[in-house]
Amino acid sequence: MSFKSRFSSPKIRLIAITTSALLAIASFAVPNAAQAASVFKVATSAAVTTWDPVQSFSTEAFYMTNIYEPLLWKNPDGVSPEYAPALATSWSSSTNGKTWTFKLRAGATFHDGSAVTSAAVKASLESSKKIGGAGFIWDALKTIDTPSDDTVVLNLSYAAPMDLIASSTYGAYIVNPKSLDAVAKDSKYYESGKDGGSGPYTISSYKAGSSVVLSAYAKHWATTKPAYSTIDISIVADGITAQQMMTSGQVDWATNIPLTSMTSFKRNNKYSVIKYKSPFNYVGYFNTLRAPLNNPKVRQALSLALNYREITAVGGQGYATQARSAVPAGIYPYDPATPQYQMARTKAKQLLASAGVKDLTIKITYASENSAEARFVPLIKDAFEAIGVKAEVQGILFNQQWAAAKKDPANAQDLFIVKYWPTYSDAGVDNLWSLFHSSTKPFFNLSYWKNTAYDKLIDEATELSGSDKAAAQKLYSQAMVILYNEAPGLYLYDEAQVSVVPKKFDIPKYNINYPFSAFFAGVKLSS
Amino acid sequence: MKILRNRLSSALLVLFGASFITFTLARVIPSDPSLAYIGPKATAAEAAKLRITLGLDQPIPVQYVKYLAQTFQGNWGYSLSTKQPILQEIRDRLPATLELIFFAMSFALIFGVALGVYAAKYRGKFQDSLIRILAIAGVSMPAFWLGLLLQMLFAGRLTWFPATGQFDIELKYDHPITKVTGFPLFDSMITGNYHATFNGLHHMILPALTLSAYSFGLLSRMARANLLEVMSQDYVKVARAYGLSERLIFFKLALRNALPPIVTVTGLSAAYLITGTFFVEQVYNWPGIGSFAVNALLSIDYPAIMGITLVAAIGYLLTNFIVDLIQSKIDPRVWMK
Repeated sequence: MSFKSRFSSPKIRLIAITTSALLAIASFAVPNAAQAASVFKVATSAAVTTWDPVQSFSTEAFYMTNIYEPLLWKNPDGVSPEYAPALATSWSSSTNGKTWTFKLRAGATFHDGSAVTSAAVKASLESSKKIGGAGFIWDALKTIDTPSDDTVVLNLSYAAPMDLIASSTYGAYIVNPKSLDAVAKDSKYYESGKDGGSGPYTISSYKAGSSVVLSAYAKHWATTKPAYSTIDISIVADGITAQQMMTSGQVDWATNIPLTSMTSFKRNNKYSVIKYKSPFNYVGYFNTLRAPLNNPKVRQALSLALNYREITAVGGQGYATQARSAVPAGIYPYDPATPQYQMARTKAKQLLASAGVKDLTIKITYASENSAEARFVPLIKDAFEAIGVKAEVQGILFNQQWAAAKKDPANAQDLFIVKYWPTYSDAGVDNLWSLFHSSTKPFFNLSYWKNTAYDKLIDEATELSGSDKAAAQKLYSQAMVILYNEAPGLYLYDEAQVSVVPKKFDIPKYNINYPFSAFFAGVKLSS
Repeated sequence: MKILRNRLSSALLVLFGASFITFTLARVIPSDPSLAYIGPKATAAEAAKLRITLGLDQPIPVQYVKYLAQTFQGNWGYSLSTKQPILQEIRDRLPATLELIFFAMSFALIFGVALGVYAAKYRGKFQDSLIRILAIAGVSMPAFWLGLLLQMLFAGRLTWFPATGQFDIELKYDHPITKVTGFPLFDSMITGNYHATFNGLHHMILPALTLSAYSFGLLSRMARANLLEVMSQDYVKVARAYGLSERLIFFKLALRNALPPIVTVTGLSAAYLITGTFFVEQVYNWPGIGSFAVNALLSIDYPAIMGITLVAAIGYLLTNFIVDLIQSKIDPRVWMK
């Protein structure tokens, strides 16, 4: 058979054409350009809802903590001292806890080169208190004195832990007064990616919903300069896509790897899988306005029906622990002595019978965009059905779920599943107050529960936490026992933060006090 | 002229209908768009204040009339999640999507028609079976699934292609593209930045293949079936009886007559690709309007949803119009109908 006749066979021709096409496609594969010097590439799901540091109250904290600085940083759990100086180098409080004095850092400047002064601090805190998304954290703040350019005195109406509050992720950044003026005149001032910070990085470019590029600020006060002068961040909502980007080398680090992928990363010797405590906590609110859920016995029965071990394993994929009340482990005022429900279905059935409940159907809603909830909510349904309670499950977007729950409580869901975290590292002021303290109009208390004894304890503890933290802890602990007995909610699990870190890099440890943040100034190549 | 006028008025009616349905649906679903604007931890008072600022406190018909008036003036509103003007968002992202659609459609048209013709020529043989299997797989496999499979195999395991993005991230530092038309791949070509061109083509292959799969399957099946039908017509038998060569009969007589339905399907496929990009861009993190649309839907960003709906509707109408024009060239009776 001649060469020509061999290739004139249709079968051979088809194979030859297909192979040539594949080779042609693969030949497009040009080698990656050498990585531009000093660029650290990141993939994250952190969206930017606003660039306004005063209004910021969401996932943009990922970037903000690199661009802006508060007076103090709170160190991760177990690190001593508890606080690290940021724009304030020293601080003290009066004996009654109502006056706090902060001494500002000499040489600290905003990104336009102007000095960080006490006037800037005063303007920032006043602006935050007045219009900030997290302005409520400054509730105790009455007046601010600026006796000199480098001294700020905070006068409070009641004792409050100003060191803790001044180190909050939200509402505590010190902002260039020129930016505060600019945004007062034009509310969209920041939205193209302008900044008025003093942090180690400044925004170099921003493509809404796609990418953020941060550049190192050359005049930052820190003596150690960042190892990477440019941080190039791709905003990637899908965790699997982010994972593919990291494993294929397109980015150096991805922060939103799905928990379901952790097993494969553990087997990969290029990466370390590190588990930390996080402030994230899963809670379910019972609708206490509606019979028979207005009966604590019924709520207790439903709490006893759950297989917590299974829910924790499936939801947290091995990176979670059963919750004690609504305060996540590692965050004040967590109390390891707070009682927990354990599965006891016979007792649950007895409680239902003693409450005279028959043919109960529970409507459960959860946030469909939360994959953990999508995994464990069916287990709640199964658990209820095991004690003879029917359940209808509805996964909808969180915004819809929340809007429906607030709009018409009497006709809303029976059980609302939520992932919650405190605004700053005090789950007494936030979680215990926001989730279960009575309110005239529902906002985050979506069990619509009212209990005067509980409210009294929480109110007293909140006021005490500034002057006597131990006494406040006792009150919070008592309040958490009420939550256990009355069961206005299901206390499901505390989620761990799991970081997949390429061994090629040294990346600062996760800090529970800044749950959405990554501190890029500390990133460097592993030695 | 009359035909054109009729086409234009029906197009306006379609646009009006699409905008009205989307606008109403976006507002009757239980959600609070103001929360998308200020974030989930905003206070009730802040959310209420913003609802007034955004005009969400007014009745839906009033909101719709205002929306229409503003849209005609070129003000499509601001995205609730990105805070950028919708028109600017679309203008920034549309070129990336159109480039992706262009490559996907080219893949589908060239390989789909060519392999369909090839399969018809070798009907019942091994090649025919193989092409039919490929076509069925292309039509039946969901784009997001195919995308993930291709990504895992060619980017994750074989590392032949990049997993995501339109260009390597480094490109903007070492070979930045000069903006001329706004179409990045095209701009890189006309400015002689061939490093960027090849890099862009390298990034284009997996998403374009994924997006083209459905159209490829459809076109190859259609080309094969039409050709086989035409080949069984009497005039083909007469041509054979006259002793014309098979090549002449196949390519000159049969293929030309099999073309009109293929053109129709090509048009429909191109229109399908507009919404097909929603999944593909999400999987490949492609910076086009598809990924913007998915994010808008997930955050109930209703001004963005409205803008994307209008663009998609205009895309459909334009594609159909172009298909009609081409059809009328092939068969003038189509236009008259």
